[in-house]
Amino acid sequence: MSALRKEIDASAMEALTGTGTETGARRYRFDPGFIGFSGHFPGNPILPAIVQIRAVVSLAEEESGKTLRLTAVRSAKFLAPIRPDEDVWIRYRRRLDSGMDLCDATLSVAGNTVAAFQLELAEGETPR
Amino acid sequence: MPICNPITLPLAAERLIPHRAPMRLVDTLVSVNDGCAVAESVLPQSTMMADREGRIDEVAFMELIAQSYAAFKGYMDRMDGKPPGEGFLVGVRHLEISGTAHAGDRLLTSIRTVAEFGGFAVVEGTVTRGDETLASGTLKLWLVDPDAARDDR
Repeated sequence: MSALRKEIDASAMEALTGTGTETGARRYRFDPGFIGFSGHFPGNPILPAIVQIRAVVSLAEEESGKTLRLTAVRSAKFLAPIRPDEDVWIRYRRRLDSGMDLCDATLSVAGNTVAAFQLELAEGETPR
Repeated sequence: MPICNPITLPLAAERLIPHRAPMRLVDTLVSVNDGCAVAESVLPQSTMMADREGRIDEVAFMELIAQSYAAFKGYMDRMDGKPPGEGFLVGVRHLEISGTAHAGDRLLTSIRTVAEFGGFAVVEGTVTRGDETLASGTLKLWLVDPDAARDDR
């Protein structure tokens, strides 16, 4: 497991809801010392887009109990910056479409959607 | 007397982009040509993106494309005699991830500026290792007006 993945998991504020349902929601809070803020950017910390996507994939892995691999980002919109110590709600729903394992996800802060994306996932080959 | 100092490539990305370790993933801007650029990265085993087997998290490919464009833009800014500006990733379309990278791999990221309009840029990018394409897709970035307030987005 990468250091990034460990720190994302450690930023979860509560247990995953919706286990086994291919949907999930969880609140995160990334503190100022979170590794993803380091260098992104000095004096102007913003949660990197890749952290947001990694958090969703990790959440889906935990819910499914399987190792997953990100195979595509079909679309993504990052609408507003996420700052340190903000409560971030991550919600996702997985579904099969023409044999593809799709994951629709949103991130919200204070009730406002700050990011939305659709991912393609596949079962991974090795444990992370 | 020259109007501005010539900038020789390759050039360390740290001189062109605001990202710093551990979130700076691009090492060097290798070449620039007519809206296109190539940047090089070798991610160490110690990168936060690598698992214990050295496999790089797939999400890193998106950041490599974004940072490679940032390096290109920073280079162009410097050629214009300005400090490198800031930019933010605001959208992704059809980023396909077809391969796996490992710590120590020499990754080349090629970007092509498809459009620039109203403070936004649309960029196509491809990450390769040797002859193998690992990822490709289209990103949309918002380029901060250096005269605008820093915290606006």
